[in-house]
Amino acid sequence: MPLREKSDEELSKLLSEYGITHGPIVDSTRKLYEKKLEKAMEDAPVEVPSPDKTFYREEVEEVTYITYHHSPVRQEVNSDVVRRRGNAEPDKEEEPLQYTEPPVQISKRTANHSAAPGMKESGCSVWKGVRLLLLLAVLAAAVYYAYCRVVNNEEDPSGIQ
Amino acid sequence: MSTTSQKHRDFVGEPMGDKSVTSLSGIGEILGKKLEQQGFDKAYVVLGQFLLLKKDSEMFSEWLKDASGANSRQAGSCSQCLREWCDAFL
Repeated sequence: MPLREKSDEELSKLLSEYGITHGPIVDSTRKLYEKKLEKAMEDAPVEVPSPDKTFYREEVEEVTYITYHHSPVRQEVNSDVVRRRGNAEPDKEEEPLQYTEPPVQISKRTANHSAAPGMKESGCSVWKGVRLLLLLAVLAAAVYYAYCRVVNNEEDPSGIQ
Repeated sequence: MSTTSQKHRDFVGEPMGDKSVTSLSGIGEILGKKLEQQGFDKAYVVLGQFLLLKKDSEMFSEWLKDASGANSRQAGSCSQCLREWCDAFL
C-alpha cells in the first residue's frame, strides 16, 4: 500500500517506528513526512522492524521456557509419586499433595535458569565451611578431653605423692 | 557556521508582527513569491510550519527546499533565523 493512501494515524505510527521525530501530520507537513518515511524505508527495510521482533521473541521465549518446564516434569514426578505411594495410601489423600508440591518445583526450576548456579556454589561453600567448623569443634573437644585426662592423671599421682 | 546577515539580525531582533515572508533571512523575491502562491504570505505562517515540524531545522529546511525551491544555504539561513527568533520570543 503506497504511503499516500495511508491515514494520518498510520503514517504517524510508521514514522515513530522508524524513529523519525514528527509533529502533527497535516496537509502542509504530510508530503514531507511521506518523503522522509520513504527514504527511511529504503535505507533500512528490514533493519528497523527486526529489533522489535527480537525483543518480543525474547519475552515469548521466557514464557515458553517456564510452561515447557513445568508441565512434563511435574507430571512425571507426580505420576511417580502417585505410583509409589498409591500402593500404601488411598488416592484421595494424594491429590492435595500433588497440588502443593508442584509450585515448589516450578519455583526451583525457574530459579535454576538465572540464579541457581551461583546459589548452589555459595550453598556448597557454606556447607563445606560448616562441616569444617564442626570437624574442628569435635577435634578441639577431643583434644581438650585428652588434655584434661592427662592433667588429671598428672595431678592425681602428685596428690598421692 | 556562516556569519549572520543584516536581514537575519533585523528579523531576530524584534517580534515579527505582520512582516511579509520576504523579511525572513534566506527568502528573497523569487522564493517569497513561490511561498505566497502556496498560502505562506506572512512570516508568521512560515513560523507556523516551522512549529508544526517541532522546530526541527533539518525537517524545516527540507520542507522549504521542496516548497519554494530554495537551496541548502537559503533554507538553512531561514531555519536558523526562525529558530533564533523562537529562542528570543516564544
